[in-house]
This record gives sequence, structure tokens and C-alpha cells, in this order.
Amino acid sequence: MIISSSKPFSEILDMLMDKESVFIIGCSVCAAKQHVGGEPEVEEMSSNIKDAGVNVIGGVVAKAACSVRSREYLEELAPKIKDADAVLVMACGSGTSNIARFVDVDVYPANNTESLGAMAGDKIIHHLCAMCGQCTIAEFGGVCPTAQCPKELLNGPCGGSMDGKCEVDPEKDCAWELIYERLERIGRLDLLDEVRDAKDRLVK
Amino acid sequence: MLSTFNDALNSDRFIVTAEVAPPKGTDISATLEDADLIRGWVDAINITDNQHAVMRMSPVVVGKLLMDAGHEVIVQFTCRDRNRLALQSDILAASVLGIRNLCVMTGDYPTKGDHVGAKPVYDLDSVQLLSLITKMMDGHDMAGNELAGAPSFTIGAVSNTEAARRMQMIKLKKKIDAGAQFIQTQAVYDVEGFGEFMDSFTHPDVPVIAGIIPLRSAGMARFMNGNVPGIRVGDELISRMEDAEDPVQEGLEIAAESIRELRKMCRGVHMMPIGGNSNTPKLLEMAGISALQ
Repeated sequence: MIISSSKPFSEILDMLMDKESVFIIGCSVCAAKQHVGGEPEVEEMSSNIKDAGVNVIGGVVAKAACSVRSREYLEELAPKIKDADAVLVMACGSGTSNIARFVDVDVYPANNTESLGAMAGDKIIHHLCAMCGQCTIAEFGGVCPTAQCPKELLNGPCGGSMDGKCEVDPEKDCAWELIYERLERIGRLDLLDEVRDAKDRLVK
Repeated sequence: MLSTFNDALNSDRFIVTAEVAPPKGTDISATLEDADLIRGWVDAINITDNQHAVMRMSPVVVGKLLMDAGHEVIVQFTCRDRNRLALQSDILAASVLGIRNLCVMTGDYPTKGDHVGAKPVYDLDSVQLLSLITKMMDGHDMAGNELAGAPSFTIGAVSNTEAARRMQMIKLKKKIDAGAQFIQTQAVYDVEGFGEFMDSFTHPDVPVIAGIIPLRSAGMARFMNGNVPGIRVGDELISRMEDAEDPVQEGLEIAAESIRELRKMCRGVHMMPIGGNSNTPKLLEMAGISALQ
């Protein structure tokens, strides 16, 4: 799941302040699950923007903002979008970017996209995958150091972790603690002895 | 004649190294003065690399300046600020400037320093960087291209000294397998704990140089316990600092006692005094270590 959070409303309003007809698009996949782009959030956003004095001409929740496949498809889903001078997308960055391919007006993000993670009930779990394009997660017991260690260390922890917590965020478990615990639990501590080579960066 | 740090490693002498920080700005005088305070007392001076992620002058350049002033230097290389291209460029530069010793470490995260929005690089980790330097010394770059002239260094790495942290011990072994010829440690206050670390250290032939930071106050000890990973100052030492009339002097006494004990356990000590080396010669004398000449 792509983890996003809502931008502060004041920031959204600043973006839309000089617009005359705003259209809002939500997304019923990750953003809806995290309550930052589902039906209720699109309705609430619409009413808040109107209350602030900016005209909203309509809103729709796409099945998935990232799988809208053409301008025609989008215009069929949301006929009023043709009259908009701005589109506000309540999805992740890739959903917003995908919508921008099919409209010829300003497209604004309502969310900040943070990581590829998971949800356990209402609890969001960040940074489970860094999308490096060369998955070697089995070498680390399913805990990816490229995603979970801020320094992306492949051969063990840095000297900065304290009491099993990360140097960068003391609230966060050190990824290498998690890797060690997990490999111990599955009887694969032998995997830790291997020297892991640097990854080649994925070409964008 | 100035002997090299490698000569010291290969001797049976107790080794002393000390840390000097590059300047923040172009005025190199304070750095040269700090190094001069320990001239004749240390086998080599470590030059820190944007220590604590605080921007300072390149340690490669400062290394050259200190060598020109007659010091033997160990230039520190962190993985934080340079990708594999820049690291290799600087390794070649260090070699051609005559720098003989490098010490490799991961590097504190940018948010710990004074440019919190800096892009963290960490293209290589410390084990991979050690392997890369070893490969360059064999005449090839990381991509396998042949080098026209290979660098030559004595290379080291760093470690915390908590034997119970098994993952850290595994990584230390990897560092040595990747080419580390000496280990400099985080500051040691728990000499007994350090003994356990040495007992579980798998490479008795690799010199371990124990870190020393003289305490300056009880508050500093408490701060380090709460904020500096790998450091554990025991309650007994904290009470001694609290009760001391002259805490700075007491801190030196404690450090001198530690050095005397550590001398029986490892190959040397690495001085990392807060605020410069003005007390370093005094401390070494108190610990029964004489100047080199």
C-alpha cells in the first residue's frame, strides 16, 4: 500500500485561492483505506473549500487514480472535469501524476506521499519497500534494510542505534534489530555471515 | 625520522592516536595548533570527516596540510556524503597527496548535524567501502576498470564495544574480512565490558585501539549515557565526578586509570577529547605513557 497523509488544509487552500472552478478526484484504493481520499473525505474537502469561498464544481472517487487509462475514460467518469480550471487529487503522487496526463489544467495534490507500507487495522506501517527494482528481501528474513534502515545498510547496523532503536528516530526500531530477531526466529542466522554487495541504482 | 602509523602497528609498542577536527571555514590555524599540542605524543592523528554531520573542511586536504607540518595522519572516510564515484576520486586524491592511512565508518545521519536537509548518500556501507579500497589497492576500481597507478593505504574501521550486541560483532568481523587492519573503538568507560568485547573479538591479530573521552562533568557523563550510542558511564564514575572539587582533573584521573587497565587488554588508545587536545599530553603522562622521542 502507498502511504499518504493529508496536506494541511491551509496549504491546499493557498494552491486553489485564485481558481474559479475546482474539480476533486479521490481514489478508492490506498487513499480511501487511509481516509485521505475516499468518498467521505472528497465530500468533506469539497464542502471545506466551498466554505472558504472557492467554487467547487464537482467531485468523484476513481476506482484507482493510478489506473485511469485515458482522457476519454476520465471524462466519462467525471464529465464536469472539462469545465474545471483546476483539479485537486486526493490520492498518492503516482495517482495525481497519472491524472495530470489526461487534463490540460493545473493539477494539485491534496496529499503528501510518504512510503510504501502496510496497514494493520488503523495502524500504518511505513517503509516496507524502497522499490529498488532488485529484491533481495529473503536474505534479510523479509525485513528490507534498503527500505527500513535510513542509511540503507546491507551488512549490519551502524554505530548509532541505541537500545535497539534507530539513530534517526528513537521511536523506530533499528532495522537490523528486526532482521536479527526475525532470522533468529526462523533459524537462519547463517544468512548474516554473507557479505552483501552494494546494489546498483535503478535507472529512472 | 618520522615513523609511519603502519610501523607502529607492526611494533610491540602501545599505540596512541588522537582526533583533530578540520576547521569550519578557511582558517586552518586552530586545527594546526591542536595538532601541535600532541606533536611527539601520538603515533597518528585522526582527521574527522564532517563529524556529527557538521560541515567542515575536507579531511583529505587537512590531512595533506598536517602531513606537510610533519604529522602522521589517519584520514576518516564516512559513507554519508559521497557516492561510489566521489569516494573513489577522493581515495585516489588522498593517495597521491601522500596520505598513508584511512579509517572508514558509516557516518552520522544528516539530521544529527547542521545541514539537516542534506541528501543522505550511503551509496556504500562501511563493509563495502573497505572492500572497495582493498580492490583499488589491487589496481582496480569498483567497476573493474584497471587503475593507472594503484593507491596504497593502511586501512582501519571503527566499532562499538558491546559484546552482547551480536549483530555488531558480526559486522565487525565482516569489516576485518573486507580488509580492516586496525580497529578504533567508541569511548570506553566500562573496562570490564571492554574485556568481554575483546574476549569475543574473533581476530586477535588485528590491533584494537580503545577510544578515550575524558569526562569533564557529571552532567556530561549523564548526557552521553542518554544520547551517545555505545557509551556507558557507570554510576560509580558519575558519583566520583559529582563529588570532585575539580571535575576536569577527576575526569583525567578516571581516563588515566582506564588507560592503565586498557594497556593490558588491547594495542592502544585513541583520544577523542571534547574541545581539543590541550590536556592530552598531561593525561598520557598521568597514564604512564611517555612521549615518543
